[in-house]
Amino acid sequence: MLLLRRVPFALMLAPFAMEAQMVQVTEHTLSNGMKILIHEDHDVPNVALYLFFKVGSRNERPGATGISHFFEHMMFNGAKKYGPKQFDIEMEKAGGRNNAYTSRDVTVYTDWFPRTALELMFDMEADRIRDLSFDPKIVESERGVVSSERRTSVDNNPFGTLYEQLNATAYIAHPYQWPVIGWASDIEAWTMEDLKAHYRMGYAPNNCVVVVSGDVTPAEVLPLAKKYFEPIPRQDPPPPVRTVEPPQLGERRVEVRRPANLPLLMASFHVGPARDPDFPVYEVIETILTGGRSSRLHQRLVEKEQLVLNAGGGVRPSLDPGQFLFTFQVRSGRNPRDVEKSLYEELERLSKEPVPAEELQKAKNQILADFYRQLKTISGKANLLGDYEVFFGSWNEILNAPARIEKVSAEDVMRVAARIFAPRNRTVGTLIPEQGAEVKQ
Amino acid sequence: MRTAFGILLMALPALASSQVRLPDFTREQLPNGAILILLPRHDVPLVSVRAVFRGGAEIEPQGMNGITAATVEMMRRGAGKRTAAQIDLDLDFLGASLSSGANRQSAYFSLEFLSKTAPEALAILADILTQPAFPEDELRKVLAQAADRVRSSKDNPAAAVGPYFNGFFYPAGHPYRHSGTPDELSVSRINREEILSHYRRMAAGRNLIFVAAGDFDAKQFAPLARKIAGALPAGEAVKAAADAAPRFERPRLLLVDKPDATQTYFRIGMPGIHRRHPDRVALLAANTLFGGRFTSLLNDALRVNAGLTYGANSILDLDRLTGAIAINTYPPTATTAKAIDLALEVLSQFSGRGVTQEQLDSARAYIKGNFPTDRLETSDQLCSILAELELFGLGRDDIDGFFQKLDALTPESVNAAIRRHFSAGNLQFCLVGNASAIEKEVAKYAKSMKVVSIKTEGFMPPDF
Repeated sequence: MLLLRRVPFALMLAPFAMEAQMVQVTEHTLSNGMKILIHEDHDVPNVALYLFFKVGSRNERPGATGISHFFEHMMFNGAKKYGPKQFDIEMEKAGGRNNAYTSRDVTVYTDWFPRTALELMFDMEADRIRDLSFDPKIVESERGVVSSERRTSVDNNPFGTLYEQLNATAYIAHPYQWPVIGWASDIEAWTMEDLKAHYRMGYAPNNCVVVVSGDVTPAEVLPLAKKYFEPIPRQDPPPPVRTVEPPQLGERRVEVRRPANLPLLMASFHVGPARDPDFPVYEVIETILTGGRSSRLHQRLVEKEQLVLNAGGGVRPSLDPGQFLFTFQVRSGRNPRDVEKSLYEELERLSKEPVPAEELQKAKNQILADFYRQLKTISGKANLLGDYEVFFGSWNEILNAPARIEKVSAEDVMRVAARIFAPRNRTVGTLIPEQGAEVKQ
Repeated sequence: MRTAFGILLMALPALASSQVRLPDFTREQLPNGAILILLPRHDVPLVSVRAVFRGGAEIEPQGMNGITAATVEMMRRGAGKRTAAQIDLDLDFLGASLSSGANRQSAYFSLEFLSKTAPEALAILADILTQPAFPEDELRKVLAQAADRVRSSKDNPAAAVGPYFNGFFYPAGHPYRHSGTPDELSVSRINREEILSHYRRMAAGRNLIFVAAGDFDAKQFAPLARKIAGALPAGEAVKAAADAAPRFERPRLLLVDKPDATQTYFRIGMPGIHRRHPDRVALLAANTLFGGRFTSLLNDALRVNAGLTYGANSILDLDRLTGAIAINTYPPTATTAKAIDLALEVLSQFSGRGVTQEQLDSARAYIKGNFPTDRLETSDQLCSILAELELFGLGRDDIDGFFQKLDALTPESVNAAIRRHFSAGNLQFCLVGNASAIEKEVAKYAKSMKVVSIKTEGFMPPDF
């Protein structure tokens, strides 16, 4: 059924040549170890300022899980010069907006603002990195906010519920086993001392990469970085995460029963970290299996067998060995076991039959086009630069990314698929609805 | 994540530089009535195309809610000589992305592709727009999937509260009552004949707005675009529904029972405005302060001060017909009434006191500062804004003069608009939560109250 066409060779090459111009960066490291990356883009009179702190839930311990994420919230609750609420009030008054996210590996603060607010943002960021305050009343109120976030993203969301149980089963030793938002009991229990210890551990300038992307010049940014960020003293970075997840010795399964209309199925396979030389192969495998409607799993499970509503999955860059995760919203009246059977057949096919050249080229074209989509906005570029600096060792690796993908061969795909998709390497989670799948009047 | 505000603000056309201006573009009307708009710009090697058909929920026959979305989904499932699978394959091979959907006043296709692949990508879009086959087996699949998506949304109260609110807020026969959302009942009524007739009604030159922005040479690109947009028959322009603003004589409360919910997802609505309303810019500023940003009064009271919720906001509809202003949040079940009381107190103070010069200045700076990255940064954003202007019958001065209108606002003019639209009386409460735990305490908000199980088919409320 594959009716693929070859893509003209010129299509692949021409964009490659442009890309080095599109991601020009000025790099500078301050005397306290803080790295600054500056990318000029004068399309709109705005700036994206992203601060990547290399601290996340992998740096936590049982009893205080979720504290990185909670701390992300606390960073907006007042420091020495700018008191409670002032960060947001001053920023919005200056025409800016912010958000932040926490993952297993990093905590990232994302500021978007008109160029006129550049100095204000450096001043406010430096204030909270160096002199955050810890008001017990605010800690209690923020606990309520994070509990609400947990109720929304986990308790009242079947996907969130199963995902949490799956991870807790897939990892038996490594900190990736606990949810980034933290266990409910830990959210209720962590102490002021936990918070202060986390601040001392994670929020060192030498543990931070700052990306400035937008309507700025290095001549404007560097003096501000020196004035506001350089005086922040260096500290010890977080201690290394010593625990290595032991090899999985056989399939693991977890089941969740809860009220729901539709079942869910997830399957997780252990893979290497972002710096694994096979990481580009993982990306190609992801695209072949789940990238777009023509992908193998979409065509088979959604269109042909009509077992699922959607077939998602893939890898995300991580500092420690991560996961290849599949997620399926199973259709009403269908059995998750049938989805599993078809999934395993497709994974086996990938490890035994070479991917046809046209299909491999299609996957590479999709990855390249998606890469350009990330370069459309100043915030997309800020995030990409920070991700590459943290996960792949240097922002410069962005320039090598298309070539790394291009090098992936059909043999690579077979070899890596055979390794990662072995049955003993998988963890399967199913959500079984407690009430019937049919909605009755 | 810290907040979900960024997502909500995308709905708000929201600089600190003195003025803003749309880049230059060309607009022409083709012989079949279609409007063609082209905006070449050379940033990344990508092109965005947006094909918009007027109509949307406004032209859906009674009981056929969701047929517009089903029709556009079906258009890409077999067209010209390509099967559904072939279209998927051809698009993916080019690295192109195609999304489609329907809203209250239109249906759209949004296509993005690498500039080098323009002829191939446009050929696929031409097939989809002009030669859809509507195969019966694909239709059965699409409708069955839509029914399961409805079931899936009822597993997520955050997704379900919107359709329930629309069904409750808008009167019978109003096109926004369903807002184009399918339900278990309408999905069972839609068939191929209905889809075909809906396609013929909708896909006419007189209803088409075709916009392209991005990395192309206008001289080469224009003939290709004209060929596609000009290929549809002129047809008949859809007849737009007359505006009928929802009016309420008394407060009402709809409680949707989801026994396993651990928090209550609620919306409190009042009649609002439409996209061309003279109070729009004043209300954009007012709503920014009331519930449109992180430091807004609602979020400050319910999240920052009280810790009752992850976020509280207010939504200002800006559609072709008069919509709602709706307070929106999700406190724990046990503090539902406390959160509603607090939201009502914020509303009462806001409608009574209005805003100060300092607040207005801050709102104005916020809207201006975010506008370029929200609306004008990428080719797909520019396609979207150009299609929106055309759809609502507005010219480029709507954007080019936007900051001037913001600058002309005074506390007096904004407060007059607040008095006209933000009212603490006859509010409409829609709650999704554990009814047995909250039914008694929420009864105080409206004598007229009904409870419906989330297991009942559809999203429509019992008669009030």
